[in-house]
Amino acid sequence: MSGADRERLFLKNAAIAAAGTHSVSDPRDLPATLGRVVASDLPVYCPGVTELEKAAAALFPVRVDDYAAATVTVEEVFGAVAETGTIVCVSAGGRAVQAGLLPAHHVAIVRRERIFDTLDDLFAAVSGSPPTNITLVTGPSRTADIELTLAIGVHGPERLDIIVA
Amino acid sequence: MSHEQTSLAFRENTVRALEDTALRAAMKQAADTFGTKRADAFAPVADLEALRDRASAIREDVLANLPMYVDRFVASATRAGATIHRAKDASAAREIIAKILSERGAKRIVKGKSMVSEEVDLNSHLEAAGMEVVETDLGEYIIQMEGESPSHIIVPAIHKNRRQVGRLFADRLGVPYTEDPQALTKIARKALREKFLSADAGVSGANFAVADTGSLVLVTNEGNGRMVTSVPPLHVAILSIEKMLPSLTDLPAFLRLLPRSATGQTMTSYVSVITGPRKAGDATGAKELHIVLLDNGRTEILAGESRDILKCIRCGACMNVCPVYRTVGGHAYGWTYPGPMGIVLTTLLTGMEKSHPLVDASTLCGACVEVCPVRVPLTDLILGLRQRKVRDRFSNPRERLGMEAFGKAAASPGLFVLGQRLAGAFWPVVRALGGKDVAGRMPAPAKTPFRRRLP
Ligand code: SF4
Repeated sequence: MSGADRERLFLKNAAIAAAGTHSVSDPRDLPATLGRVVASDLPVYCPGVTELEKAAAALFPVRVDDYAAATVTVEEVFGAVAETGTIVCVSAGGRAVQAGLLPAHHVAIVRRERIFDTLDDLFAAVSGSPPTNITLVTGPSRTADIELTLAIGVHGPERLDIIVA
Repeated sequence: MSHEQTSLAFRENTVRALEDTALRAAMKQAADTFGTKRADAFAPVADLEALRDRASAIREDVLANLPMYVDRFVASATRAGATIHRAKDASAAREIIAKILSERGAKRIVKGKSMVSEEVDLNSHLEAAGMEVVETDLGEYIIQMEGESPSHIIVPAIHKNRRQVGRLFADRLGVPYTEDPQALTKIARKALREKFLSADAGVSGANFAVADTGSLVLVTNEGNGRMVTSVPPLHVAILSIEKMLPSLTDLPAFLRLLPRSATGQTMTSYVSVITGPRKAGDATGAKELHIVLLDNGRTEILAGESRDILKCIRCGACMNVCPVYRTVGGHAYGWTYPGPMGIVLTTLLTGMEKSHPLVDASTLCGACVEVCPVRVPLTDLILGLRQRKVRDRFSNPRERLGMEAFGKAAASPGLFVLGQRLAGAFWPVVRALGGKDVAGRMPAPAKTPFRRRLP
C-alpha cells in the first residue's frame, strides 16, 4: 500500500467508526486545525512532550496537569492502524494512557509514517516486549446495552478527533 | 445477590418466558438486529472461511498444549510483575479474591463485565464480606440494580426494554424518568464516574491471556474495562485457564472475528493489552496486579469427549441465532451461560444431575455451528451430551423404554410391520403409559403407513 492509500484507508475507516478525521500536510498547519477542533477556553490536558504536542500546547491558555479534571486531552499517539481506523496509545515513555479516556473529548495526533497497514503489522511490531499498556481506540466510547440502540460516550470520550500530521 | 441454578426447571422456565410479552418483544428485536449487523460486518471480509480455520487451529493448539501455555503465561506474567493465583474451583477463587481485597482494606470495588466472575458468584461473596461491589458495564449495572443475573453473555440486559430501564433509574437514582437510551447512558456515566474515581480496587475478566508475554487482553466498547483496570490502585483479574493464546501475533485473527461475531462491529471501541502492573517510569496501570486463573472443572473437560467447547471465545453469536434462545431468552437456562454454548458448558461445569433438561433445548438445526467463529461443533457436542444423559439414566424412564422398544422393532422388519399393524389399536395404551411429557404431543399413527403409500 502506498503512503497516500494507507492514510486514505485509515481516515475512511476511522470516520466509519464515528471519529472526527483531519489531515494536515504541513505540521505548521496543526494549530489552525486544532483551533477548529477544540474551543480554546476549555480546560485542556496536553502532555507537551513531543514536538507536535509542544506546538499544540501553545494554543491552549487553560492547561491542566490533571487529566481527570480536563474536558479535552490533546496528545500525540504511538500510531494507527489503517485496516480498522484505529489509533494506538501506549504507556511507554511515561505516558498516561488513561488521559485519553477520562475527558469527554480526545484529540489524537498521529504522524502519517506511524500508520500501520494491518493489525498484524502493529502486533508484529510490539509483540516482543510490550509496554505495560497498549490500548487500541476505534471511535468514541459506545454501548448498545439498552435495546441494542447505539449510545455514545458511556465511560470514555463521547468525541474522538484524529489529526494525521 | 446470589443466584441459585434453576436449569432443572428449564421447562417451567420456558413456559414463564413464553408468557412474558415484554421479553418476547425484546428477544425478537434483538434477534433481528443481531442478524443483520453480523452479516453486514462480515460482508467485506475476504476469505472469512480461511480466517475461521486459522482461529480454530490456534484454539485447537492451545487446548492440545494447555498446561504448557498456562505455565508459560504464569512465568511471563510473573516476570512482568503480576501476582498469579491458581484457583481449583469457584469457592477457591472467591476466597482468594476476597483475601486479596480485604488484606488491602478495599471497601469499594468497581467491576468490569466478567462472565467468569458470574460463574463463581463473586459479587455476593464480596458483599457478604462487607464490600461495596459496583458493576460498571451499563448492562451489568442495570441488572445489578434489579437484582437479576445476565441473560446474554455480551448484552447482559438484553431482556429489558428502555421503559423498564427508565423506570428503574428513576426509582433507584432519583432522576427524572426518561426512556431515551442516550440520556439513560449519560445518567449512568455520571453515577459511575464518581465510583471509578473513589474505588479502592478494580475487578475485571479478560477475553484472552497471552502466554508469551503474560498479557491480558480486554475487548470492550464502553471504556469501563479501561477504567477498572487502570484507575484504581489495585487490579484483580479473574479468568478461566482456557483463555490462552500463544502470542500477541495471534491476536489479530481474533480481533477480526470477535467484535463482528459479537455485536456486528468491525472493531470494538477499545482493546486493552495489559502486561503487568505499573512499573518504574510508568504513568499507566494499577500499582498492583493480581491474576486469578480459574480451573473449576476445565482440566476434566479437557480430558473428556466434549473438550472442543473450550475453544469458545464467548462471542455470543450462537445464542443470537439459536431458535430456542431467541424464543425463551437467557434466564430460562437457569445458570451463567445460556444458548447453545451454555447448554454444553453448563452441563459440563455443573454436572448432568443439575442440568440435564438443557441438553434437549436444541433443535439441532445447526445455525450455531454455521456462525461460530472458531468452529465449535456445538450440535455434535449437544448430541454427545444427549447420549450421556441416556447412558447416565437422566432421561425419562418411559421415554427410554419406548425408544428401546422402537429400536428393537426398527431393527427387525417383521417386528416393525407387526408393530405398525398394532400401533393404531394400541395407541391409547401407548399414550396413557407414555404420559404427557413423552407421548402427549405425538400425533396418532396414520391409518395407512407412509411406507405403503409409496408406489
Ligand atoms: S460457541 Fe462459538 S459462537 Fe458460541 S459463544 Fe462460543 S465462540 Fe461464540
